[in-house]
Amino acid sequence: MKENMLVMNKKNFLGTVCVAVALSAVVSACGDGTTRSAGWEFSPNMYEPLAFNPDQPNPNFKDNKTAQLPPTGSDPIGFVRFEYPNTTEGYTQAGLEVKSPLAMTDENLKQGEALFLTYCAVCHGKDGNGDGQLTKDRKVNDSRGERELEKFPPPPSFHRSAGAKSTRGTVMADLSDGQIFHTITYGYNAMGSHASQLTPDERWRVVMYVHELQKK
Amino acid sequence: MRNISSVLGRLAKSISVSLVLLFAVTTAAQAQDAANGAALFKANACQSCHTLGRNGVGPDLLGLSERREMGWIVKWIHNPQGMIDAGDPIALELKGKYPTVMTPFASLSESDIADMVAYLDAEKVKAEEKKNSPAAAGAAASSDANTMMIIGLVALFVVAIAVIFALNRVTKTLERVIANNQAAIAEAQARHEEAGESNTAKFAQAFLKNKKLVFFVVLMVVGLLGAAGWNTMWNVGVHQGYKPVQPIKFSHQIHAGVNQIECQYCHGGAFKSKNASIPSANVCMNCHNTVTASDHYDGQTSPEIAKLYRAVDWDQETRTYGTNTRPIEWVRIHNLPDFAYFNHSQHVVVAGVECQTCHGPIQDMEEVYQYSPLTMKWCVDCHKETEVNKDNAYYDQLIEAHEKLKKGEKMTAAMIGGLECGKCHY
Repeated sequence: MKENMLVMNKKNFLGTVCVAVALSAVVSACGDGTTRSAGWEFSPNMYEPLAFNPDQPNPNFKDNKTAQLPPTGSDPIGFVRFEYPNTTEGYTQAGLEVKSPLAMTDENLKQGEALFLTYCAVCHGKDGNGDGQLTKDRKVNDSRGERELEKFPPPPSFHRSAGAKSTRGTVMADLSDGQIFHTITYGYNAMGSHASQLTPDERWRVVMYVHELQKK
Repeated sequence: MRNISSVLGRLAKSISVSLVLLFAVTTAAQAQDAANGAALFKANACQSCHTLGRNGVGPDLLGLSERREMGWIVKWIHNPQGMIDAGDPIALELKGKYPTVMTPFASLSESDIADMVAYLDAEKVKAEEKKNSPAAAGAAASSDANTMMIIGLVALFVVAIAVIFALNRVTKTLERVIANNQAAIAEAQARHEEAGESNTAKFAQAFLKNKKLVFFVVLMVVGLLGAAGWNTMWNVGVHQGYKPVQPIKFSHQIHAGVNQIECQYCHGGAFKSKNASIPSANVCMNCHNTVTASDHYDGQTSPEIAKLYRAVDWDQETRTYGTNTRPIEWVRIHNLPDFAYFNHSQHVVVAGVECQTCHGPIQDMEEVYQYSPLTMKWCVDCHKETEVNKDNAYYDQLIEAHEKLKKGEKMTAAMIGGLECGKCHY
């Protein structure tokens, strides 16, 4: 009789444990899996860097930033400066004098296309036709409901067949090496400067690809 | 005070809007032209350079029909550069004021342009109504509010003194009552305590007697603690699902999803370096010097974009940058432990891994969270399955070295990178 009782208790006990575990498992699956907290950390002295990350605040500098600008006037090794100022005169002069230092190769052109698709196509269109995604009707549906997004002013087409004129007077299909390079470097109208995103060499590859688009 | 004036302002605004509506109904034909003009104005993205009510990249167009003749407007829209070249005095004056020459819109017909001018006229009327009524009403309201506030403050002061006086009287009276009825109060207190004690005790007894209920409650507590413990312990050092609040409500859903801006446009570092890099604010300004989302904020700049303008000290009126910049303190989401080395360019350029493979459906995330666990097991699992992408120069030397070994040629440690600084000084 006593043995029986023990067996019964054991069964009950095991059953209860099972239920508790199942309940825990179900409850722990609640929520959408995201959290505002980074949770606990195991041995922070191994996890957290002693050195400062570039995006961390840093009390050792006056402006409390770790990422400091290089001293004014310093250039990386091998960097070629673009000496033409951000003025109409600079633009005209660059257009006449500056030529691409890169050889016209398939590889350069391919890289130019990839760079154009990444940095330019969103406004200028994949085909350089001035019909990029940002210039089209777009709608977003998010936590604030469905709404239309602001359109970016469409840039003129590069194609010769379109015959569009640049706002600085030149027919888009006739833009020279220096003019395109100057515009990428400083930006113009609604277009911002892309000098921080594209190195001079990358800019020249883009110029090479734009010349291809001008033939269309 | 601000509340009162803003309420009055809103009231006046709604009245003026209804006045404008009334006006619009009476001149239905004009309104139709204006509606067509409004659609054209938007379709050609005129508002991107011409902000109504202030000068932007281009001049403020309100009151255009008063300043310029129709023929001139049509000619200008069709070929602005041509007019400058031809030496038109107004065109030259504009060129002097605004460095950027307008994009030509040769496809717009004369009637289209007339409709757009009608729209601008309607907007001008609207703006003037607004200026006349709510501005004046607003000014009156604010001075009214001033006097009202002073009167209110005085009244409040008087009421406060009256209340203090009354409360003082009440306290004194109550003290007197207590002093008079000490015995009765003590008796009542004793009775009340007894009753309270027995109530709690009764409840506890009843609860403990109900074994099933006790069992159920204990089970629930164990279950919840188990779940909380499980989640906490399992996620020690694992930040999967970490979604911190960012200083600006930047939506990747809008930028990467709807706008289809390539990841590399902002995070170019992923292709060139160890870090994917958070874009500096000048990259934001490439588009946001124009995009203010004012459509959704009553003509005002979106408050989130305004934070960006504050950070880079951008003056919207003059379209220039100041010197009082402040960094945007984004919260880092993906935190690898310091002892683990990870290089983005190695994965993105050499291996050709898509951003989404590790970062999940970024283009659908309104608010970004850490998609992958970033645990060692996760890394190792992928490295076990992924075949080496030999389609780039990265492995050329490795393959060359193996060829040499196969042929039995002489090979020194230096030839396989034994002289690289980092081999010893890391």
